[in-house]
Amino acid sequence: MARVLYIEDEQEIGRWVTMNLTERGHHVTWLQSGEEIEEHLAHCDLVILDVMLPGLDGFSIGKRIKKEQPDLPILMLSARTAIEDKVEGLSFADDYLTKPFHPDELAARVEVLLRRFNKNDEILKLKHLTIHTKDMRIVNHETGEEILLTGKQYQIFQYFLRHLNQILTKEQLYEGVWGEPYIEGDKTLMVHIRYLREKLEKDPKNPEIIETIRGIGYRVRK
Amino acid sequence: MKSVKRLRSLTAKYMAIILTALFLIYLLIIGTSLLVFNVYDHKDPETLQIEKAWHQDARSLKNPGSEDINRMFEKWQNRYPKARLFWVDSNGRLAAGRNLAANIPKHWNAAYTANFIKARYDNDPFTVIAFPNNDASYGFVVFEIERKLLQPAFTEANADFMYFIVPGGIVLFVTVSYLFFLGIRKRLLYLQQAMEIRDVDGLPVAITVRKQDEIGQLEMAFNQMVDELRESRKREEAEEQLRKELIANLSHDLRTPLTKIRAHAYTLEKEALTPVARQAVNMIEQSVSKMDRLIENLISYTLLNAKKLKYEPTPTDVVRLARSFIAAWYPAFEKEGFFIDVQLDDLEQKHWNVDPLWMERIFDNLFQNVIRHAKDGKYIGLKTKKTDSYDALVVLDRGKGFRHKSSEKGAGIGLAIVDLMVKKMELDWKIESSETGTIITIIHYRSC
Repeated sequence: MARVLYIEDEQEIGRWVTMNLTERGHHVTWLQSGEEIEEHLAHCDLVILDVMLPGLDGFSIGKRIKKEQPDLPILMLSARTAIEDKVEGLSFADDYLTKPFHPDELAARVEVLLRRFNKNDEILKLKHLTIHTKDMRIVNHETGEEILLTGKQYQIFQYFLRHLNQILTKEQLYEGVWGEPYIEGDKTLMVHIRYLREKLEKDPKNPEIIETIRGIGYRVRK
Repeated sequence: MKSVKRLRSLTAKYMAIILTALFLIYLLIIGTSLLVFNVYDHKDPETLQIEKAWHQDARSLKNPGSEDINRMFEKWQNRYPKARLFWVDSNGRLAAGRNLAANIPKHWNAAYTANFIKARYDNDPFTVIAFPNNDASYGFVVFEIERKLLQPAFTEANADFMYFIVPGGIVLFVTVSYLFFLGIRKRLLYLQQAMEIRDVDGLPVAITVRKQDEIGQLEMAFNQMVDELRESRKREEAEEQLRKELIANLSHDLRTPLTKIRAHAYTLEKEALTPVARQAVNMIEQSVSKMDRLIENLISYTLLNAKKLKYEPTPTDVVRLARSFIAAWYPAFEKEGFFIDVQLDDLEQKHWNVDPLWMERIFDNLFQNVIRHAKDGKYIGLKTKKTDSYDALVVLDRGKGFRHKSSEKGAGIGLAIVDLMVKKMELDWKIESSETGTIITIIHYRSC
């Protein structure tokens, strides 16, 4: 599925993660230090970086990668859980997962990142919809009709797909799509979601694609 | 410490002022003597001149008769018209006189004469008694004059000196002393102000030492103290860094083997296992999660207690924050089959001055406890609450309450962290726990 560059000095953990991600269909290149990283960077979709490395530490390597390739997602993997470490990690990395993590959790986060950065040429199936993520083509495979969205509807739906399975609060959605602070009581988002549902849902009164999470927000779930 | 050079010391300066003042007093006394009493230009006072001349004139009368005496009296009367002059002859008779007072008797006996001499001696009127021809047998001639009619004993020409120079000297001394102490006071005040100035790191700033006296020495001592303080702060920071590093490393070192345990358990799980073995793997997995939480809590608790956990309060919309927390936990509750009841309405004051990461930690601990200890209730509630005096966020569950022994212990430290954080952020909280559930209220009292 994706080409993952994994930097981890701990043998047992490195072997296990490599095996696990490979089993899930990813192509993993595992390095034990950040020294020869340059030659691999051009050929990967995602970097998984351990913080405590011999020589140059994970934070420094991560910052350098981000500077050179801002659109290459980085997932920090660390046994350091101090808030300061997380804050520093997230100042450049796209996600920060602490050890001991569960492999399912790691795999889920990898997928989220790949989707967020549009690295996956994925064909997503959500109920009656088939979505080609790379070019955002939405087809109702039950009727064979292609669904066309307006600009804002497209942006909202894409935001949902990038945060698949996550619950998005209305503030998060509004600010993510419109790029300006949400003002309490603003109905714009609700109106757009209603129109979006009218296009996507079989029965807009009982939505299946865009779930309403009462009191919190919305979710699109695979 | 360096001692102050003697000449530069304040004591020396003040002693110099005092000595100058004393010297000035002597100078004044001598000056006064010179100028007022006219020591150099000395002349006999008039009284003495009169005395000498009167005696001389009396002595020069070789065979004194009333004619001679009258001539002498005339000469004297020309010089001193107001003087009273008289002659008492050997028989005690008042034989001649000028300007005589009424109470002068015509006859003088021995007693009266003795009395007269006694009364006039060194008194007013100024009186000179002489024997004509220096012989008592001719009786005696008397000259008397009111002292006020004579020239004073000293020259009054320089008396201004007494009126201006002496008070001037005193004023000068007072002024110099005042300026001296004013100077000291000014420097002490400057020192006080300088001591109160704080650098960005909260430590006092070193002072420029301008003079090498006692105050200068005080300033140097102060600077030395500032240096030591800064040094000690540096050491403390280094120790702090070391400690944090140690804790971070400890956390890392504990979690790495835990990750390996999980990795191996996961690998085992993929194998074909007997139900018993599968259950054992499951238990290992759960223990790893539990250990992970305990390490995290223990480290946080240690840092919190030592007041070393990073704390950055900022006015935060807590309703929005709470919504994002429950959104993150939603899948976990959903997976356990909970009914998730979220009713987050607007609060009177929804911007609380809190650290969002600390709030996240508080809610993580509370939600974690609900999943671990109140699974049976299958209910999680997150609500806002408004009363007359406070706004609050409320977490509810329908578990068996705190008194019921949960299969998983260790809730204590999680709640202890909540308690420390709530108090540090100047919030309040309360737990109402019964057999039918627990209500935890995080309270923010409204500021007026």
